[in-house]
Formats: sequence, C-alpha cells, structure tokens
Amino acid sequence: MILILKIIVIIFFSLNLYAREKGETEITTEDGIEVFQNEKFYLLKKNVKIASDEFTLNANDVKIEFEKSLYDITKLNAQGNVEFYSEEYEILGEGEYLEFEIKNEKIKVKGLGSKLITEEFEMFSDGTININNQSGKFSLKGLNSKLINEEIKIEARSIDGVFSEIDEKKEITVLNVFDEKISYIKNNDTEMYARKINFDSDNSIIELIENVTIIRNDEKITGDYGTLDTTNNSYKIKSNNTSKVKVIILNNEQ
Amino acid sequence: MNFFLFINRKLIFLSGIIILCLFILIIFSKQINLSKIEVKNIKNTISNADILEPKFAINNNSKKIFITAAEGNFLNKNEIMLKNKVRFKSNNFSIETDKVIFNRNKQTAHSSSRSLFKSKNTKITSDGFNIYDKGNKIIFYGNSYIILK
Repeated sequence: MILILKIIVIIFFSLNLYAREKGETEITTEDGIEVFQNEKFYLLKKNVKIASDEFTLNANDVKIEFEKSLYDITKLNAQGNVEFYSEEYEILGEGEYLEFEIKNEKIKVKGLGSKLITEEFEMFSDGTININNQSGKFSLKGLNSKLINEEIKIEARSIDGVFSEIDEKKEITVLNVFDEKISYIKNNDTEMYARKINFDSDNSIIELIENVTIIRNDEKITGDYGTLDTTNNSYKIKSNNTSKVKVIILNNEQ
Repeated sequence: MNFFLFINRKLIFLSGIIILCLFILIIFSKQINLSKIEVKNIKNTISNADILEPKFAINNNSKKIFITAAEGNFLNKNEIMLKNKVRFKSNNFSIETDKVIFNRNKQTAHSSSRSLFKSKNTKITSDGFNIYDKGNKIIFYGNSYIILK
C-alpha cells in the first residue's frame, strides 16, 4: 500500500515538473532545438507542440524569430501538418505552412487544404490565405479558394478584400474577385458569375465584369457587364453588343 | 594481611606490559587502516580526474561563456571531459549538466547527458546539447521541453 502511494506521489510530482502554469508557454519537440543567437531565431524539430493560455499549435517543424531573448517572439513559421488556434484573434487554422507575424498580427496559411476559420468567416484554399488583423485586409490565392459566411459565398482563383468592424461585427467593405475561368458569388437569393467581381461598401454596388450571369429565383440573365445595388437588391446587365443580353425565365414546374 | 600484598610483582608488571602492547597494537593497526583508506581515496581521485574544478571560457566578439565543473579529464591535447556540476554561464544564459566534452581549440562543447538551459523567462531541458560557432549556436538534442514566461 505504501509502495503504491509512493509511486502515485512520484508520478504526480513528475507530471507537475512539466506542468505549464498560467501565463507560460510550453513547447515540446521530439528532435530537439537549434538556437541561433546572433541571427535571433530558433528551430523546433519534429512533432512540435506549442501551448499557451491563448495560443496552441501543432506542426512538424517550427522556426521562431525573437527580438531580445527566446521568449520575446516576433515571428513564427510552422511547416508540415500545421494546426493552430488563437483565442486572442479567434482564429482556427490548418495548412501545410503557417507564417504568423505576432506584432503586425499578420497570418499566412499556405498549401493544399489550407483553412482559416474566424467567428464570422470561413476561408479555404489550396494556395495561400493571408489575413492582416490590424488593417483588416485579406487575400486568398490559388485553386479552390473560397470564402463563406452566413450571408455570402465567394469562389474564385483570387479573392482580395477588407474586413471592417461595423456594430461589433466584421463585414466585407471592399472586395476584388478574379478568376481566369469564372468567379462566383452567392449573396442572399442572388447568384453571380463573372470573370471579375468588385464590391465597395461606400457605393453599395457589386460590379460584374466579363461573362456575366446573374441568377435570382427563376431568372437567369447573361451579359458582359452588370451591377447589383445591395441597398435595394436591384441589378442591371448590359452587353458590348446591345442585342447580346439574354434573359432566361426558368420554370421549375416543367 | 592485605590480599594485594600476596600478588606477585612480576606478574603485575608482565600483565601491564601485555595490556600496553595490546593497546598500542590496536591503535597502530587502526592507524594503518585509516592511512590505507586515505591512500586509496587519493589514488582514486588521482586516477579519475586530471584537473579538479577546471575553468575555461569560450570567447566571441559579443560575449564570453565561462565553463566550470567539479572535475575534468584530458581525452587528448584539445578535448577535455568535464564531469559533475558542469556549468556554462554567460550574461544571457546558463546551461547545467553532468558530462561535457569541451574542445579548447575549436571552442565547442558537446554533451549527451540531460541538460538544463536557463535564460531570461526561458527554460529548456533536453537530452544533451552541442555548442559551436563560438557559442553563437546551440543545438539541444532529443526530446526537448521549453517553458517561456
């Protein structure tokens, strides 16, 4: 009995030896650490796990840049099966590569199956996803790039824009979407296709350029250029050739 | 008549000498044993350590790393095996471990024993380490654990 108690006490203390306290960051690696003091960075190798009160990260390898000493982290690069969660910025992410600039609040996720999920938006790409939390700028580049929230769904090879906080809620105030083939936006009951789609909240106009198609309810209208006024949800489409605008009334009952 | 007046004087003298001899013999034998132990200890110390409490330093342009240990043994002209309470200390950090091979010529150090690195708000434990490039680069081996405050 005494022996069992002793073993329990030893295990308890050995576990406590590596227990993280509040405010501390705990890092474990399987293949060591390389510290470059003059260059001011260190490499964490193989099956890296980082845990703090507000940030967790798992990755194969991590490079951390610091300013004064090892704790004073300015930038983090993680490679291979990266998974992270920032409670401070309410961001959850996955990808093959992560770049996180702590002071500038810039996050970049790269590689197949990249994913960034915030409280209000979900972003996916097989290329890169960039977010600047300070300026609100975001950018998705590459195949299968997608941005989704409750009101809007955007799919294109290139999605650039700006988030702004309006009434304590993040909303897209500027949007520039481009795809060589076709870009796609679904907003409420309207689906829009065009090679290039722009939006500016100052004039509340969505601008559609080249190979334009707007689908709403049973209507499908195609043309070369279109605008949609988000204040009253009305739209206009025109063509370079005036006879080219085409309206199709869809009848679902047939 | 007193009983003691009947005891033979020679007998008393002889037994006194015998007791004295035994006493001296015991003390002498113990002294020999003690001296033998001491000799053994000295011999052990001499055979295990070439230097007691060795002190070295790694110099580079920006800082100096002082190395201390309880004992050290020369492995060859340049390499020294430092053992027991080995400590590397600079203005920025310290490393503690049990065994280190220090190369005086290359100014490098290598350890395969459990090590503890401490600097401001940082602690690293690892299965060993390697210091090279005059102390600018440190590699911590194996399962490593860092705590940042």
